[in-house]
Amino acid sequence: MVPLTFFLKVTMRPTGIIALRALPQSKMRTALRYVPPTTLIGAIAYPLFHIGGSRAETVYDRRTFRSTVGEVLGLFDWVTVKTSGKPRLYGALLKINTVYRGKVQSAVTSFPFAVMYGTNDATITAVYIINEEALAESTYRLEDIERAAWGITRLGSRESVVSVESVETGRADVIEVETAETSYAFPFKGLEVSGKGTLQSVVDWRSGIRDYSQARRMVMFYPEGSVRVRGQLRVARVGGEVIVLAP
Amino acid sequence: MFLSVGVRFEANVEALNMVETAGNYSKHRRVPYLVEEDGKLKTVYVPALSGESLAHAYQEHLVREALSLNLPVCDDCRRNEFYKSMNKVHLKKKVNPIPDDPKKIEVAIVQSCVIEDVGGFLYAEKPPVRRSSAFQVSYALPVKSVALFATSEPQLHARHAQMDSSSKKGNASEQMIYYVETGTALYGFTFNLDLNAIGVSAITSEPILNENEIKARREAALKALFRMLSSAQFGAKLSRFFPVGGITEVAVAVTEHPFVVTSPIYDDYIARTERRLKVLEGLGEKYLFTVATGEKVPEEALKEAMDYLKEQGAF
Repeated sequence: MVPLTFFLKVTMRPTGIIALRALPQSKMRTALRYVPPTTLIGAIAYPLFHIGGSRAETVYDRRTFRSTVGEVLGLFDWVTVKTSGKPRLYGALLKINTVYRGKVQSAVTSFPFAVMYGTNDATITAVYIINEEALAESTYRLEDIERAAWGITRLGSRESVVSVESVETGRADVIEVETAETSYAFPFKGLEVSGKGTLQSVVDWRSGIRDYSQARRMVMFYPEGSVRVRGQLRVARVGGEVIVLAP
Repeated sequence: MFLSVGVRFEANVEALNMVETAGNYSKHRRVPYLVEEDGKLKTVYVPALSGESLAHAYQEHLVREALSLNLPVCDDCRRNEFYKSMNKVHLKKKVNPIPDDPKKIEVAIVQSCVIEDVGGFLYAEKPPVRRSSAFQVSYALPVKSVALFATSEPQLHARHAQMDSSSKKGNASEQMIYYVETGTALYGFTFNLDLNAIGVSAITSEPILNENEIKARREAALKALFRMLSSAQFGAKLSRFFPVGGITEVAVAVTEHPFVVTSPIYDDYIARTERRLKVLEGLGEKYLFTVATGEKVPEEALKEAMDYLKEQGAF
């Protein structure tokens, strides 16, 4: 009998755009089309710290520094997301006039973002699988995590404001299967997929959230609608839906 | 305490956010609006205002409100140039020599400038020091149900300069035409303000200032929002393209911890926000929710929120 684990399913409405910078960047700035796990953890960490009375964002350790989000990474066994509709990447051209060494210069740049704005209502649903052992050893309670989910204010940059429209809580059972149907993003490794979707390289949050230029990465498959996945799968059933976990 | 405001405003023939010029043509910022027809996506471009534009305006108002309350504002921010201590050149104006300890750098910046306390900063040197903005602003986008009626139209203008043969150079014409693209839409945007972040270190979580100064800064932050919305002083080209229209609806939620009103680009935003706040009440959290639609004017709703925050001891 596999022990049931606590989950949160958080449905968010964007305010039209989600601006997530793909890092590291060159002069060719690109945006991520879908929300990576690191962003989901950062998003819930902010209200969680607020509830705990902590304002700290950066931890300095001699010459290195990292995000305080690392303190709550252990509370999550897995995080994933599903997106209704397909966000469109768009970046208006911006003309910037500057004075450099006494000469007027003109430069053209762009800050792309993912557009989730149209006749259909776009939603982003995040699932957080909670590690209850780590939670018991922390200063937070399940009620705090649930309240924090309601307190997610943005995904990534400060213009990507979202409102949490519903939070579903429950217990997920984890099973091993050979085939599953899912709408949630999953690690694309040794699996056969039938259906449409996008591959996106993201930072593997389990290795810590710090300098992204050196961070370990993993490839995630973000389904369009739902896809059928085959392979040696570990899946969690969360409120009538299935999410594929890391092998 | 956390404040979240949803704003709907009508703006006819505005040039609030321009993004580039192509010759004599100034373009309004636009974003794609995705229309699904027969399973295929079609894109319609609608006018928009960036969150950066609204955030800049808010910080300009914050400069004025902070100075009127005799609170410190650094020289760069006084000129409405929000460099935010981004490098040694700008930081040296506040603290010289620059300390090695990031905590001391943050203290020096927060103590000497309300704008960088509330609006955050990123000192991109060694050691890097960052402070997230205590306020967040979304893009202002046309309300979805009427987005397809939003327009971006170029307006033709001409400037004249009398020239005699001695002052005429090359092919310079006495009459130059130019175009300004104007937008017309019913816009919606969201503004959040985390009052607990003001005056508190983003490294140690300890207060950097005494309680009275923190409260005064919170008051300045709230007044700046009130002033920005009440005066409609945000965006570009107000001198000749002041938008015809005004704020039509405001919804304000005040909660103990972060909570965002449903975006006013959705028609059901007030009802949904109310239902969501009821859930928070079930979790044992007090809140205030006030809306200005119809009879009530936006200033009344904003004042109600400020009075509630005052009662709660926020300022």
